[in-house]
Amino acid sequence: MADSGEYEGDDDGSVRELCANGACMKAAEVEAKLDEGNIQEAESSLREGLSLNFEEARALLGRLEYQRGNVEGALRVFDGIDLHAAIQRLQPSFSEKSASKKCRSRSDSHVSVSQHAASLVLEAIYLKAKSLQKLGRLTEAANECKSVLDAVERIFQQGIPDAQVDNRLQETVSRAVELLPELWKQVGCDHDAVAAYRRALLSQWNLDNECCARIQKRFAVFLLHSGVEAGPPSLGSQVEGSYVPKNNLEEAILLLLILMKKYHLGKIKWDPAVMEHLTYALSLCSQTSILAKQLEEIMPGVFLRSDRWNALALCYSAIGQNDAALNLLRKSLHKHERPNDLMALLLAAKICSEDCHLAAEGIQYARTALSNAQGKDEHLKGVGLRMLGLCLGRHAKVSSSDYERSRLQSEALKSLDGAITFENNNADLFFDLGVRYAEQRNLSTALRYAKQYIDATGGSVLKGWKLLALVLSAQQRFSEAEVVTDAALDETTKWEQGPILRLKAKLKIAQALPMDAIETYRYLLALVQAQRKSFGPLRSLSQDDKVNEFQVWHGLANLYSGLSHWKDVAICMGKARELKAYSAEMLHTEGKNWNFILTYEISNLNLHLLHAWKVTSLARFLKTFFFFFGSSCVMHEGCGQTHEALRAYINALLIEPSYVPCKVLVGSLFSKLGPKALPVARSLLSDALRIEPTNRKAWYYLGLVHKDDGRIADAADCFQAASMLEESDPIESFSSIA
Amino acid sequence: MSDTKAETAYKSLSSILTNTPPSSQNPASSLLYDPEISSQVSALLRHPNSGAGDDNLCRWLYDTFQSSDPQLQLVVVRFLPMIAGVYLSRVTLRKPLAGFEAVLLALYSHETTSRKGQSLTVNVPDLSHPSIYHESKAPSKNNATDLNLAVISPSLEPHGTVRSTRRARIVGVALELYYSKIPQMPVGSKIEFCEFCQAWAGQDGDMRKDGNGGDEVINQKEGISKEGRIPLPWELLQPVLRILGHCLLGSNKKNKELYEAACCASRSLYARSLHDINPNAILATGSLVRLAKMGLDSQNDQVDHTQVPWTRVISL
Repeated sequence: MADSGEYEGDDDGSVRELCANGACMKAAEVEAKLDEGNIQEAESSLREGLSLNFEEARALLGRLEYQRGNVEGALRVFDGIDLHAAIQRLQPSFSEKSASKKCRSRSDSHVSVSQHAASLVLEAIYLKAKSLQKLGRLTEAANECKSVLDAVERIFQQGIPDAQVDNRLQETVSRAVELLPELWKQVGCDHDAVAAYRRALLSQWNLDNECCARIQKRFAVFLLHSGVEAGPPSLGSQVEGSYVPKNNLEEAILLLLILMKKYHLGKIKWDPAVMEHLTYALSLCSQTSILAKQLEEIMPGVFLRSDRWNALALCYSAIGQNDAALNLLRKSLHKHERPNDLMALLLAAKICSEDCHLAAEGIQYARTALSNAQGKDEHLKGVGLRMLGLCLGRHAKVSSSDYERSRLQSEALKSLDGAITFENNNADLFFDLGVRYAEQRNLSTALRYAKQYIDATGGSVLKGWKLLALVLSAQQRFSEAEVVTDAALDETTKWEQGPILRLKAKLKIAQALPMDAIETYRYLLALVQAQRKSFGPLRSLSQDDKVNEFQVWHGLANLYSGLSHWKDVAICMGKARELKAYSAEMLHTEGKNWNFILTYEISNLNLHLLHAWKVTSLARFLKTFFFFFGSSCVMHEGCGQTHEALRAYINALLIEPSYVPCKVLVGSLFSKLGPKALPVARSLLSDALRIEPTNRKAWYYLGLVHKDDGRIADAADCFQAASMLEESDPIESFSSIA
Repeated sequence: MSDTKAETAYKSLSSILTNTPPSSQNPASSLLYDPEISSQVSALLRHPNSGAGDDNLCRWLYDTFQSSDPQLQLVVVRFLPMIAGVYLSRVTLRKPLAGFEAVLLALYSHETTSRKGQSLTVNVPDLSHPSIYHESKAPSKNNATDLNLAVISPSLEPHGTVRSTRRARIVGVALELYYSKIPQMPVGSKIEFCEFCQAWAGQDGDMRKDGNGGDEVINQKEGISKEGRIPLPWELLQPVLRILGHCLLGSNKKNKELYEAACCASRSLYARSLHDINPNAILATGSLVRLAKMGLDSQNDQVDHTQVPWTRVISL
């Protein structure tokens, strides 16, 4: 024990004494006798000097020996008393008590006398347990300690009366309750320790708040980290309607939450370790929203507020609430708070890098992070550069001019290349670089990074396979791309094959094998069916793995529209619409002229739009809307109904002005409407190219516009661009995987 | 019955090891705890050409695990950190690793069977409902509707081969099995685990050693840490962190070497989480690092509340 110094208290000059029944004796006199090995003599001198009985004298002697650190001596003294017989004697006197309620005054004094006697005996047993513990005889110590608790339960069958309890008795009981589980832990009897903890917390011991909190915390730590599965508590302790934890994590979290609540109520002192253990437990369960709630409830002054904001930001970001996280980070990165906190800067930059409208802000965070990654944090330089590259690349997508865009893009690549000199083993960087180079149509470099990524991850990440297949498809190496998708299919289980199968279908289409593509789609739809049947709520499959049925129908619709099978297109669209509630009723109009239905639908869309606006989230709604609109437009156009199509396109553009495919199609339609419409077409197409410079269709139609306007050289340039892009066009946009 | 199985296993292992260990009274226990045997097996597992389909040691591990003798299965689990560590670090080198994979799949399918493929979930309690440890005057709104159900390990599909996209999950589940047996694991096995954590993180977290500017320079095992960096998806990292929590805070018989190794591993994984900017991992590893630090700080001034205070006057 570390605190043996406590016993050597002679130095302060005060004389240590033994007192009882109003008399006192100098401790040194008794000690001298004890040192001679003469327990009997010491005992009898105490009995005479302080008029004590045998047991009292022994208890006092034991305490004296224990206090001066002579635990062996203490044990010898205690061994002289038959403590268990003493307990036996105590018991009946208390059961009498409950029977003699009438003679209250007498029984009260009786209680205090008996409590005193009980206190004496229990303290003696407790000191014996402590002595044994100090001697390393842990099992014996645990058994003695346990007998203290057993005795208390037998003596006070109704629980300890908290109003009139003897202080010293309560102290002994509390100590024994606290000591027992620790002893079992030291012995290595983990299940006894669990039982002792639960006994401590579930029985009435009248423990004070701090003591109870210590036990709860230790038990929580034990449950979290010992690795011993405690099993659920016994049925006896369960109360109807109350929550019963059924495994270690649940019990530990419950205890830690209770400790937090006790702190909030001002019952116990703040203990930072409790918060840390709770953080660990809840983040392992990915339940950081609950952690956030706990952090929010903590009174100001416990945490540095920027620390709390940062922790909250981590919690929210972990559950995907990046807006809330970013707002908190903005506060903590304010110039009066901690503007140079690296973790906060990097997290903020990462969140910003995912949204092109925030990317500019992210660039600032990444730059600050870079300049602060010094000294012991120098290892984070690479991360800072990577975030800078990602933010620059994202920002380039909304840049206003070609010049600005190409400057940002080259800077982004420079940053990412710089990052790789710091982290040449970071697989994620390979992927980022692969996507960036692919988007710039530097396909051979992109291919190299895609391969490196697959190597570094051992092919364990699906998006790596997708990137490789897309890059190969952009190089028009379709059969090789198919080999890649087949390899990817080999490396995935059936449930995760959806996205790869979709790619494969598109590859078939690109190779002009529509029947094969239809076959692949059919397989995909079977997979969708199977998934729908077999996944209960607990089958957690990440959203990326799940086949998006909507996309499957969309893909099929596109395929049929390419084959001019308009009826099949309508069927596929119908299926797709079935997935979205707001157009469900229209499907009952099956068998009617599909053309009519569509016209009807388009004219009614604004109405549905209003309804849908209320019930679905904006993003999801827009996605549906555009699919629906885009497809019906294509159908109208395919059937030669230019004006109907145009109306649909323009409606779509009114909703989302930067939806490129629609822009391009409107532009192309205008270009067919005669010379007056050509300037409109030109500006629409240029606008589309500003948003997506690699859209080959936009270049092509722009070329047509130039040609019709008589600018042959410009037209040639555009056609050349279109043809070059066609040679490097992937079957699906690269940004779809990033 | 099981004794003969253990003896057979002991003998067949002796024929694989270079230095034949002396025959043992209690072969199952020697296999698990004998440091000489473990170090020889570990050395063989680390061998550059280990883990192929025809690797005798892997075959022995596989057969021993399939013996379905719980004591012997523990022996195989004991070497899981080494197997998983070498395997995951070597996957990218495109070497034949069928031997390792067979052992890992055996552990995976054992866990799948014993769990009946079920997921492991945690009902995070809501304190507005009373529990066995506290009372609450909640409007008895309704029993358990407000509970937050967290899946800590999703349901398990049977796997006959290691598909690369399922690799992390298979190893993760094997580590979950390791965690469930961790009280019986020898310290050496846990230390190996911590060392591999550092290698997997690919970051020496030493610069993070002390937030208050303590400039303790620790030897940097650059060679190992740069080579072994692997992707750490949550399905792998989560069981890793549970085991690490045990190594750091779980054992009451504090083993200094293990504690140091666990501290280093926590710091490395914290640094790695920062590199990945993975919020969940930053929270979990950050709390481990801080708890380790609190443990060091409070080691000297811990008050023992079970101690009877010293008094000048001893009275009845």
